[in-house]
Amino acid sequence: MFKKVLLGAALAVFGSMQLTPLFAEEVTIKLWSRADRSGPLRPGNIVEAANQMNRMFAAAGSDTQVKIELIETNSKGFDDDALSLLKAHSVGETPDIAVAAHEWIGSFVEAGLAANLEGHIKANAGMYADMIPQLWNSVSYKGERYGVPQDSEIRMFFINNDILRAAGKSEDYISSLPGLVEAGDFTMYDWCDLAAEAVKSGAAKVGWVHRPNVGPDFQMAMASFGIDIYNEEQAKLQITRKGLVEYYGWLQYCVNNGSLPADMTSYSWDSTHAAFRGGDSMGKFHGIWNVGAQLEAFGLKGKEDYFRKLTWIHAPPAKKGGQPKNLSHPIVYIVGDTPNKDLAAMLVGMASQHVPNTAHAVGTNHTPINYGQTAMPDFQERGWALIAGTPMLKYAEFMPNHAKIGQYNAITYTGVQAVETGEMSPEDAADMVLEELEVELGSDVIILD
Amino acid sequence: MNRQWKNHLDQLIFLGPACLLLAMFLLAPIVVNFLVAFTEMAQTIHFDNFPTTRQFEKLGKLDSDALFGFELRRSFFKALALSGTFVFFTLLFFNLSFALILALTTTAMPERLGSFFRAVWLLPRMSPSVVYGLLWLWVVDSSERGLFNQIWTFFGGETLNLRLDFSMAVIVVSNGLIGASLGMVIFTSAIRSIPIQLFHAARADGAGSFALIRYIILPALRWPISYITIYQALALLVSFEYIFLIMGPARQTMTMAMLSYTKTLAPQIGGGQYAYGAAIALILIVIGIIAALGMWRLTKMDRLLQRPRIEVR
Repeated sequence: MFKKVLLGAALAVFGSMQLTPLFAEEVTIKLWSRADRSGPLRPGNIVEAANQMNRMFAAAGSDTQVKIELIETNSKGFDDDALSLLKAHSVGETPDIAVAAHEWIGSFVEAGLAANLEGHIKANAGMYADMIPQLWNSVSYKGERYGVPQDSEIRMFFINNDILRAAGKSEDYISSLPGLVEAGDFTMYDWCDLAAEAVKSGAAKVGWVHRPNVGPDFQMAMASFGIDIYNEEQAKLQITRKGLVEYYGWLQYCVNNGSLPADMTSYSWDSTHAAFRGGDSMGKFHGIWNVGAQLEAFGLKGKEDYFRKLTWIHAPPAKKGGQPKNLSHPIVYIVGDTPNKDLAAMLVGMASQHVPNTAHAVGTNHTPINYGQTAMPDFQERGWALIAGTPMLKYAEFMPNHAKIGQYNAITYTGVQAVETGEMSPEDAADMVLEELEVELGSDVIILD
Repeated sequence: MNRQWKNHLDQLIFLGPACLLLAMFLLAPIVVNFLVAFTEMAQTIHFDNFPTTRQFEKLGKLDSDALFGFELRRSFFKALALSGTFVFFTLLFFNLSFALILALTTTAMPERLGSFFRAVWLLPRMSPSVVYGLLWLWVVDSSERGLFNQIWTFFGGETLNLRLDFSMAVIVVSNGLIGASLGMVIFTSAIRSIPIQLFHAARADGAGSFALIRYIILPALRWPISYITIYQALALLVSFEYIFLIMGPARQTMTMAMLSYTKTLAPQIGGGQYAYGAAIALILIVIGIIAALGMWRLTKMDRLLQRPRIEVR
């Protein structure tokens, strides 16, 4: 009998030893990210953070293991991806971490998708102490933070200096342009006149190009015309007819003087990029992440070569003496309001540290999220464009984190289409857009005049 | 009793799968669309605030001074007008007239040559829509690289921007050329079924080619033409695939079907308003039903489908 008990006990002990790894806790973190060649390390840094965390657990003798389940979507853009994410959340498939465009945070919070990270950020202040403070605005909704900035960027009007030279402009004039814009001496109308001059002289086939679809760039131009699209006190979107008429009037002016193609809104992205990178267009209105492709397309080597070929300016003011405008459109990590949210937030914090974020920023031409990153050797050697662009953040604004901002942008864009194609006058387009905004957004938008 | 049950079972086995398919793929989407149109379903796909007429209020408002007692919103009115223009011209010029010309010419040719040309005209239908769309983008490209502009400039013209200046013509022609093949096949088969003796007799009586078409072929094509008119009108009314591929979300070609698509599922142009899109689609369904019934009456299609009067002994 005793032998049997002893044998049974031995078997039990042996069995439990064998089974221990099976009982080790494995926590699966679902990570949602669109497959995007402009940022493979956005999900990659979270995966690496999980690996690091697993090594920490192992060092502490814990059997807990974090496993990342990557949900990589093939959405065409961040708006499309955000809609898919909201649908997934609605059917109970909320991911623990998601990579998203910051302006969707309002929608995510209202849908109960995004977790409030105030507690996490305050409890782990050391992880976020070096974060560029303005970037926190991009993840705030109704005064509280619901995400962590993943990268930032700066937008600009690119100018092809060689086209200006061919149009007879002096080196002094070309190098003075950024200063003229900062001083308010070069306006949006001057931009179109300069581009039209380049076309008329035969130096350029196209004056300038902007994005061919709905997107953040237009907010920068609208801001130049005095349109402040967000009322923070009431947490509502807003618009003015006067500002819209002036903004659309400027676009009409540019089309009429031959600097902006009338069918710009039906270009493909490929033809938009090709117009500038192929040397046909004097200017392009886009963002700093273009630098890599520009270096390749123009066959440039390094900083000096680049700035001999290209100039950057802010969106100029609408009137002489006005202030230029800029826009940063950070991509952010949001943490799903799931049972794993504390662990997920820690992974986000680890992925947002200087070394992993610099690998993303330098590799994909995005400006840093932490001050200290610009001092890192990798940044100094390969990130010269980002260091050059960081001062431009001085005039940067963000898109508001309002649930209806996607609709707002889409409707104001229909006015751009209507004016540029010659379908409507600026006044008619403004009236049409105001009617659409009132009807579709209802009380979410304030018409100021 | 047993026999009766067996009868019911046979009916169920025979008709059941077809009824199930009809219910799942034709009726259920209409019912779901109907219900969603009366909600405020948006980004989170929640079935909110059912029933509400909020989505329909976005399309127009009651106005006692207006002709029909309501006034449509400008964008919606424009979408309606564009849909009407698109359907009318595509149907008239391509799905009927051009299909008829193709059928007449290819049946007048030697049979093998006619079959070859018909096969060529079926090629666009067989190619993937994205490929067809891309080819059209090359054809209408505004630069000198575009196929149309290459031909146009060869004859001394200046490059044209067809997508900007002739946008409706672009979608009519691109949809028409692909849609003509269906009419061509149906009309060809109808022409082939006319007894050859009729043609010989007419020729013996001295009838020319136009007289043959006018007095023999066209009367025989009455039902196929009526059928193609109704079928293609309904198909064009809800068609947006090629419009989206070639024109994108351009305002000049924002038909009802395109408007519904852009408000719901189209990426990066303000999608996610599912209830709003469903309301537009519901109006399209109603327009489709009215148009189909109207044309049914007008073309007396009921006579085509009635029981044959020939007695088979």
